Amino acid sequence: MAMILEVVHPGGARTWHRLGDHPLTIGRGLSNDLILDDPYADARHARIGFDESGAPVIDDLGSVNGLIAHDARLPGRVALQSGAEIRVGRTVLRFRDADEPVPPALVDAIAPSAHRPSAKSASRSRRARWARRVVRWGRTPTGRLLTAATAAAAIALYSWLGSAERSSASSALFAALGFALIIALWAGIWAVASRVTVQRFHFVGHLGVASLVTLQGLAWGIGIEWVSFFFPDAGLSDFLSIAIGLLLLSTLVAGHLSLASGLSRQRQWRAGFIVAGTALLIGGLATLVEEESFSDVPTFSGVVKPVAGEWVPTATVEEFGGVMAALKGQVDEMARP
Amino acid sequence: MSSPRTLLLAASLVWTGALVAQQRSVTTSEVFSRYADRVVKIQVVETGSAAKATIGSGFFVSGSGHLVTNYHVISKLIHDPDRYRAELIDVAGAVQPVAVLGVDVVHDLAVLGTEMRPRSYFSLGPVGIAQGHRLYSLGHPEDLGLSIVEGTYNGHLPHTRHPRIHFTGSLNPGMSGGPTITQEGRVIGINVATAGNQLSFLVPVDRAAGLLGKVLGPGDDPAARTLAEVGRQLRDHQDAYLRDMFAGETKTVELGPYRLITEPAPFFRCWADATRRQELPYEKVRHHCSTDDYLFIAGDQSTGVVDLDHEMISARKLNRSQFFSLYTSVFAIDNTPGGEEEHVTSWRCGTRNVRNASLPMRAVLCLRRYRKLGELYDGVLKVAVLGRGDSGLVSTLTLSGVTFENVDRLARRYLERISWR
Repeated sequence: MAMILEVVHPGGARTWHRLGDHPLTIGRGLSNDLILDDPYADARHARIGFDESGAPVIDDLGSVNGLIAHDARLPGRVALQSGAEIRVGRTVLRFRDADEPVPPALVDAIAPSAHRPSAKSASRSRRARWARRVVRWGRTPTGRLLTAATAAAAIALYSWLGSAERSSASSALFAALGFALIIALWAGIWAVASRVTVQRFHFVGHLGVASLVTLQGLAWGIGIEWVSFFFPDAGLSDFLSIAIGLLLLSTLVAGHLSLASGLSRQRQWRAGFIVAGTALLIGGLATLVEEESFSDVPTFSGVVKPVAGEWVPTATVEEFGGVMAALKGQVDEMARP
Repeated sequence: MSSPRTLLLAASLVWTGALVAQQRSVTTSEVFSRYADRVVKIQVVETGSAAKATIGSGFFVSGSGHLVTNYHVISKLIHDPDRYRAELIDVAGAVQPVAVLGVDVVHDLAVLGTEMRPRSYFSLGPVGIAQGHRLYSLGHPEDLGLSIVEGTYNGHLPHTRHPRIHFTGSLNPGMSGGPTITQEGRVIGINVATAGNQLSFLVPVDRAAGLLGKVLGPGDDPAARTLAEVGRQLRDHQDAYLRDMFAGETKTVELGPYRLITEPAPFFRCWADATRRQELPYEKVRHHCSTDDYLFIAGDQSTGVVDLDHEMISARKLNRSQFFSLYTSVFAIDNTPGGEEEHVTSWRCGTRNVRNASLPMRAVLCLRRYRKLGELYDGVLKVAVLGRGDSGLVSTLTLSGVTFENVDRLARRYLERISWR
């Protein structure tokens, strides 16, 4: 029964190797059969071979950090069984059965049909191909730097459009510079964290992640302003803000973790949602406490937008009376001793 | 151009420097020696710590120990009768407890009762005097001892909803509730407020006579000196002058393309102001009308002001997006009256885009309620006219200490009255 060696490299990348009849040496040295990019591995760290009865074993070749399983250092030689998991430095070796069943393939909605593709589905697949290409390009250093530059430009534009001072250009420049400084600091902190966990800085990567989330946040922020302008009464904008806040924050955390940890994608997102959920919960509780506590400063949605009168959905003065009556109910409740 | 800020005269017990009674002429010293024993110091004391919380002045108006003072001197007692007590200190230094027998919160008056029987007192009655008549004000400025201040009578203020006498003389905190009299000892008014620089205000004596008449009338009514009575007086008062405001023919003012309400009643005072500066890429024109009639409730909480504010902004060198960003920031400025948690709830606001017969606008109403005064509210209606790219109008109506019916009624009329020129 053939055995498969699954190698989980620091950083989370995985490779698979079929174990044959010949021994296999493992280490950082370039003369090895399996070369590890792991500073905690010795030049010649371990060898996979066979014992006298022909059963597969792994030998520690006198390495500094040894072979680790379940957080304990193993003796010099260990017999291998499928399902075993052994750590060499920060690299994990998993031994799996070649006959291990795998789940069926997912149906790819955007894959072209095997039969005559319709014009519609052909264009759809073309678009999908383009989308994939853009995403792939976005992950290159150039793409990430361009994302950061776009975010800075967007911040500058937003600041310029929102400035009613004569020196609007300089305030836009300052906003962009401030953004660049903060995001560089942020990416720097994550880069240092990545260096510790996966031995890679990924500064540009972290810069790209943070910039992308900033861009999305800006777009959503503007979107919500417009929603609350057109529909000030619906709790819609509050609900949207929370949902989008949750999504953006978890995207940010998952994005950074994809560069700074060996977690699977599912776990990155789970961590993202946990962090975002906690932050929102704390924020929500703080808002609740604030609402309960007394303030003589009112909060209201005072956004006005340049929209022709006929495009704005409006209530009648009579309907506004209903708003006033509802407010009376609220303050009467608050005045109750 | 700004409205004179009146300071209530109850001293906050802060040393502000010596102020010596002015006794410039023989006549003044005669007046003082003749009437000093009719004037007392009134102090409100916290029962627990025995510390003075407010001091003011008062004067005897009957042989059976009735005194007149300001409502704001003894308001703490009305709000918190378990925590405070009031006492008088006469010219000889004798201390005697006093009880509140009646209040008139609108005119800022109170009648007190005591066991003490004064040897002499002021009779309250109508007095006719001409502008320029010499008057003498008595009281305890800054708790420095009984003092006399000379000044002149300058008639009634023209723009107030409730009457105030304009007295040209230096009233100071602590003199609140003291009498201002003629040389012959006739009371003209009760010291109530100052705007500094010898610009002082008195409550006309007939209001005090009216309140005293009520107190001396048949049957003692304990309810007449409770917070509920204060609330009732405020409700009746606001209803009398607000019910018909903005209804029927109302004066209007034109600001750019907008036509707006102005000076809705004779007791409103209006000002206009424009901001046009070379370095600003926009212009602002402001039109503002307000009543001057603050009604004191307690502490820093006052009520009773009705205020209309129109601010037109127009873009000179701004693009549409920049202009609306400015418009939003002007609309979002908070100009609601302040408040204390003890007296009012937090604000609750509702926003809608509203269209009246003439134009579309963004309307926000913020409302809060008084905690102890029954059905009284503060309401602030803010409106921003929509639909123009180069100019905008933010209009604010502030109503304080009014019933919800009047907030509702006036807000609707106000919304209906904003129109294009």
